[in-house]
Amino acid sequence: MRKTLATIIKEWILFRRDLAGLLLLFIMPAILIIVMALVQDAPFRDYQELRFDLLLADNDHGSLAGQIKDGLKQSKNFHVIDSIDGQPLSDQKLKTLLMQGKYKVGIVIPKGATAEVVNSANTIANNLSKKLGLGSTLPVREHRNDAYIRMYFDPVSKPTFRTSINYALDKYITYACSNELVKRVSKLSRMSNEDSSTTDDESMAKVFDGVGLKEEALNDKGAYTHHMNSVQHNVPAWAIFGIFFIVVPIGGHIIREREEGSALRIELIPRAHISVALGKILFYTMVCVVQFAVMCSIGIWVMPLIQLPALHLGLHPMALIPMAFAIGFAATSYGYFVGTIFKTTNQALPFGAISIVIFSAMGGIWVPIELLSPAMQKVALLSPLHWALDGVHELILRNGSFADIVQHIVFLLCFGTCLWLVSIYKYNKRGHSIQ
Amino acid sequence: MPFAIEIDGLHKQYKGAWNPALDGLSLSVKKNQVMGLLGPNGAGKTTCINILCGLVDADSGSARIYDMDCSRDTLAIRRMTGVVPQQIALFYNMSAWENFMYIGRLYGLQDNIVKERAQNLLERLGLEKHADKRVGRYSGGMKRRANIIASLLHEPQLLVLDEPTAGVDVQSRAMIMSFLDEYHKRGNTILYTSHLLEEAEQLCDEVVIIDEGKFIVNGSPKELVAQTAGCSRLEDVFLHYTGHSVRD
Repeated sequence: MRKTLATIIKEWILFRRDLAGLLLLFIMPAILIIVMALVQDAPFRDYQELRFDLLLADNDHGSLAGQIKDGLKQSKNFHVIDSIDGQPLSDQKLKTLLMQGKYKVGIVIPKGATAEVVNSANTIANNLSKKLGLGSTLPVREHRNDAYIRMYFDPVSKPTFRTSINYALDKYITYACSNELVKRVSKLSRMSNEDSSTTDDESMAKVFDGVGLKEEALNDKGAYTHHMNSVQHNVPAWAIFGIFFIVVPIGGHIIREREEGSALRIELIPRAHISVALGKILFYTMVCVVQFAVMCSIGIWVMPLIQLPALHLGLHPMALIPMAFAIGFAATSYGYFVGTIFKTTNQALPFGAISIVIFSAMGGIWVPIELLSPAMQKVALLSPLHWALDGVHELILRNGSFADIVQHIVFLLCFGTCLWLVSIYKYNKRGHSIQ
Repeated sequence: MPFAIEIDGLHKQYKGAWNPALDGLSLSVKKNQVMGLLGPNGAGKTTCINILCGLVDADSGSARIYDMDCSRDTLAIRRMTGVVPQQIALFYNMSAWENFMYIGRLYGLQDNIVKERAQNLLERLGLEKHADKRVGRYSGGMKRRANIIASLLHEPQLLVLDEPTAGVDVQSRAMIMSFLDEYHKRGNTILYTSHLLEEAEQLCDEVVIIDEGKFIVNGSPKELVAQTAGCSRLEDVFLHYTGHSVRD
């Protein structure tokens, strides 16, 4: 134990004298999480939070166009632009603006669209009237097939964006059509029945609103539930990435000690190596825990200063400490492993850095693993960064407790221990420290 | 048991090497003796030292220190042996004092004992004023002296030095030689390799010349000079036995 403690003291002395290493371990990940949170803020935001400029060419000038416009305006997701420089938007102008990439989406409401909706509503109302034996009818004509609302997108728009806009517009069109239908049925009802008190527009509309949608928190603890946002994803994700990047300084450090000869000195001291290795791993694991705490602090206090949401640590923030310890242990052991199996820094550092990027891509740091193929989702289970991120998400997004992250911690500790044992075995082979 | 070191028929060939590093080498070092292990580059001196301190396994033959097998009793041997490697086996970003405290603790020594021993050795080897300076900022001679101190903190009975004065100025070399002589006179055994034959002539009770992994000749420097026709210095003897061709 004394030897381990001596090593921790020695590592502390070396650590505080290595300014570049400090920068790499703290400032670079801090910059990384801030930049990534800012860059990914918009893509991570729910569409309810975003406001899109939407071009609208109204060739109809009827109630349908009016209702769609009102619906779009009320949704607060869209800023409807139906005129440019005081001139109403034409189809051609709308397409030109989209092609120029100045706007992302535009819709064209064709001439006669309202008449077509009214005609359809009258047809349905007449059918209802006939079945109910009301006797009254509304005027109808033959259905036109070309009266659809056309949507246009900037060619660079992503499919998910198009789908979302499509669904949103479809909702307003459906609402407008339903509204028209309610009006027509009400009109028929009034024509057949002098008493309009029970069939007015308002009460009919209430029938459509009878069953609504309301999102509620998954947990029954009465606690807040934080949806995934840029900060909730990026701060833990890139903090974990930064922690695993400790592979680079540790790997380099171990090889440098071998090159300088200090590793030979340790090897010549009886029974020193395991204590030295343990001290080194414990020290750097604690550095990782501190690093994680600093990154979380940035998430909590710095992010709001740059107009981003604050990081929330869930209902059991203290459980993040063992989680961070397990992540740090896995990362440090991996660094120790890389430094032990490779002979030169030219081999170890690129391998260490690139392998972390690969592990992070596999593990959901770059893209949530839900978006990966089923095969890649299985491969992700091999990445320690996946277990690390999933464990942290369990705590900060799903409000889990320590019991919910036990398997994550066990995986990370097993991963670290296996690598550590391989490193010790390799080191114990005679002459390991001889260059 | 009069021998501190006994080597018998030692053979070692590294993977991929054309020739063996050691080819049946046998030699012995008496207790309280200063033995110089001499040979040109590639003679097998460092391999021999690495086998003695358990850093490398021999392919065949035996190496014993104080009657303990070097391949089996490595831990016990390392407790009683101090090794000064060719490399400066210290942490460059730490001061000499911090290095010695750390190394002493790894040997399991109490801090007060390490401090006392390190202080004495620093004074003896002229580094007391530089103890708080980082080793990386030392001159070559200072690094060599600090390297020797680090190997002596656990007070070994046998000191093995692999070219301890390589690249060192005259003053530092004189100080190291004087220190080693004093250390020997306190009843300790020294095995020492060097390319500086004057140094060996001055310090060693006996020298053994090896070449291409084989024993060539041994004896006291004076005896060897006297026995070898036409030689007036140990360097002449060395060249007589190992030839004038340049080694890589």
